[in-house]
Amino acid sequence: MQTVYYIILVPMVYLAFGVFIVGIIARIAKIWREPPNPTPLLIHPVKKPGWLWTLTDTFLFPTVRRHKPVLWVFLMAFHICLLLLLIGHLELLADFALFQVIPHEIFLGNGFVGLILAICLLYFLFRRFVSPVKDLSVPEDYYLLILLFLVVIFGSEMDWARSWYEYGEMTVEDYRSYLLSLLVFKPELPYSTTFSGHSFMLILHVFFANLFLMFFPFSQLMHAILSLPMNKLRRG
Amino acid sequence: MDEKTRDDLLQLFRSKFNRAMRFYLESCTRCGTCTDACHVYASTGQTKYIAAYRHELIRRLYKRYFKARGHLWPSLGEARELTDATIEELYEAAYSCTGCRRCMVYCPFGIDTQMLMSIAKLLLIGKGAEPEILTLLADTSIEKGKSMELFKEGFLTGIKRLEAEVVKQWQTEAGEAAIPVDVEGADLLYVALAGAHSIIPAAAVFNAAGEKWTLSFFEAVNFGAFVGDPSKTKLILDRIVNEAKRLKVKEVCVCECGTAYRVMKYLSGSQPFKVTSITEAHARYLKEGRIRLDKTKFPGPITYHDPCQIARNAGVIDEARYIIGHLTDDFREMTTDARYNWCCGGGGGLVALGDETLDFRMKSSRVKVDQVKATGATILSTACENCHTQLSNLNDHYKMEVDVQFLSSMVARALVPA
Ligand code: HEM
Ligand code: SF4
Ligand code: SF4
Repeated sequence: MQTVYYIILVPMVYLAFGVFIVGIIARIAKIWREPPNPTPLLIHPVKKPGWLWTLTDTFLFPTVRRHKPVLWVFLMAFHICLLLLLIGHLELLADFALFQVIPHEIFLGNGFVGLILAICLLYFLFRRFVSPVKDLSVPEDYYLLILLFLVVIFGSEMDWARSWYEYGEMTVEDYRSYLLSLLVFKPELPYSTTFSGHSFMLILHVFFANLFLMFFPFSQLMHAILSLPMNKLRRG
Repeated sequence: MDEKTRDDLLQLFRSKFNRAMRFYLESCTRCGTCTDACHVYASTGQTKYIAAYRHELIRRLYKRYFKARGHLWPSLGEARELTDATIEELYEAAYSCTGCRRCMVYCPFGIDTQMLMSIAKLLLIGKGAEPEILTLLADTSIEKGKSMELFKEGFLTGIKRLEAEVVKQWQTEAGEAAIPVDVEGADLLYVALAGAHSIIPAAAVFNAAGEKWTLSFFEAVNFGAFVGDPSKTKLILDRIVNEAKRLKVKEVCVCECGTAYRVMKYLSGSQPFKVTSITEAHARYLKEGRIRLDKTKFPGPITYHDPCQIARNAGVIDEARYIIGHLTDDFREMTTDARYNWCCGGGGGLVALGDETLDFRMKSSRVKVDQVKATGATILSTACENCHTQLSNLNDHYKMEVDVQFLSSMVARALVPA
C-alpha cells in the first residue's frame, strides 16, 4: 500500500504537472501558429476602450449575468473560490506577505472555500441533467465536474477535519515539508502524511487532482486560457 | 461515404482553420447561456436550433479527426464519424442558421456560430450537397465578371430605361446623366442590386446631393458568401474591387444588401477607396446639408429593423436613426440595445432559396413578428434586400399590417427639391 501511496504522491504529481504545463504550452503554440482570421470578428456597437471591456467580459461574465442570473451567482462564487484555492495552495508552499495583507490562517477560508466549491459543482452537475443543457452536454462535461468534485471534497475534508474537528495529526507543517521537498526535487514523505488515519484523504485528493491536471489541456477547460483572446476578438 | 471523399472533405475542414476558428472549436463549455439567443430556437423550442447544439456537430467531427482524444476515447466528447448522415445534420444546422451572430452576444466567450457554420457549408459544397441554386447564382456572378463586354450592351439599355424613370419622378436636370455609368474619376462607385428599386431611388438621392457618382456594372449581392465558398466569395468581390480601382473612385458605396456590405467592408483588404453603405452616405448628405427631407411624407409611427450584417456585424447603427430623425418625429425602437435585435430570419441564403425555405422562415421568425408588433409602428423600414423580402413575407403571413419599406426609398421619396 505504501508503494501505491508513494507513486501517487511523488512520481504521479511530477507527471501530472509535466503533462499540464507541457500540454498547455503545446496546445497554445499549435493554436497560435495558425494564421489570424482574415476579417475582424467584432460585435457592434464597439465600446471603448476595448481592452477594458475585454477584461470585464472575461472575469465578470456580464452576458451570463444578464441571461442566466442564477448560473451567474454560482459561476462567480465558483471562480472566485478557485482563485482563493490557488492562493491557499501557494501558501501551503511558503508564506507570502502579499497574501497576508488580510491576515488569515492557513489554509485560507476556514473550510468554507471548499464547501462553496462543492455546492457550486453539485449545482453545475445537476443542471446538466435538465434539458436543454442536458441535450448540449457531452460525457466530458459530467466527468470533469465529478472529477473536480472529488478533488474538492477530499481536499476540503482535510481542511474541515483540522478547522472544525481539531484533528491535529496532519498539520500544515507536514504538507509544507512534503510540497517543498517536491519543489526542490528531493521528494520526502513526512511520516504523518502516509501513516495517519486521514492519509487516504490526502492520497485521494492528490490522485484526483493529478487526473484533473492531466486532462486539463485536452478538455474544454482550455476556456480558462482562451477566454481572454476570444473576448478580445468580439470587443476589438 | 468512401475513403477518398472523406479525406477530401477533411482537407476542406482543415482549410478553414485559423486562430479564431481553433479558439471556437476548443472552448465551448456547453453552459447553455446561448440557448435563448437564437430566433429559431426562441420561435420553435427545438433543441437542434440552439447555437451550441449546432456547433457541437462541427466540434464532434473536430474531436474525431483533429484531436488525439477522438482516437483514444471518442465517447468522451461524443466524437463522430463523418458519414452521409452527418452531412445531413450539417445541412440542417447550417441552412437553418442565418448567421446573424446574435448568439455571439450571449456567449461568455463570444463564440461565433456563423464562423463555425461556415465549416459545415464548405463540407456541404465538397460533398455536392449544398443548395445548387446558390452555387449556380455565384457562378453566374463570376462569369459576368470574366466576360463583362458580353453583358455591357444589355446592361446599358436597361439603365437607359431606368434613367427615364428617374427623370420623370424627380425632374432631374441632367437628363442624360441621371444614372452615370463607367465614369472614370468619379468620387463614388455605387454598387446596386439588379432591380429598379435599388437603382432609381439611389440615383435620385445621389443627384440631389450633387454627388459625383457612377454606377457599377455588377450586382452587390455575393452568393459565394451565402453558400460559404471562400474562393467564390473572393472572386465575386474582386470584380467590384477591380472596377473601383480602374475608375479610381474614392469611395465604394454598397446598396442595401447586408452580406454584400459586410463582405466588401471587411474582405476587400486595404484599398485606395473607402467602403460605405448607402445608409452612411445618406446620413452624411443630411449632416452636410446636401439634401433635405420632408417630414410630412410618411405620417404614422416608423420603426426600423437593423439588418444583422449591417448593424451588429458591421456597425452601421446610429446613421439609420439619424436619417429617420429627418423623416418622422415618431420613431419606435425595437430594442434598447442594437446588439439584441432579433434577426428577420432571412439571412444566410435562406431568402435567396425562395419558396423552398418559406415555411421554415415563417415558423422560425415568430419572435421577430412579436417584436415588430410591440412597437405599434405602421411603417417598418429596413436597409437590406434580404430583410425586406423576409419582412414582407412575414407581413403577409402573420398579417402584421405594416408597410415594409427600404430606408433609401423613403429618403428618395421625401427629398425636398433644392
Ligand atoms: C483557472 C481558470 C479556470 C478554471 C480552472 C475554470 C474551471 C471551470 C470549471 C471546472 C467549470 C465548470 C464546467 C462545467 O460546468 O462543466 C467552469 C465553467 C465555466 N467557466 Fe471557468 N474556469 C477558469 C477560468 C474561467 C475564465 C477566465 C472564464 C471567463 C469567461 C470562465 C468562464 C466559465 C464559464 C462561462 C463556465 C460555464 C459553466 C457551466 O455552466 O458549465 N472560466 N470553469
Ligand atoms: S454560451 Fe457559448 S460556451 Fe455556452 S454553450 Fe453557448 S456557445 Fe457554448
Ligand atoms: S447565428 Fe443567429 S441563426 Fe445562427 S445560431 Fe446564432 S442566433 Fe441562431
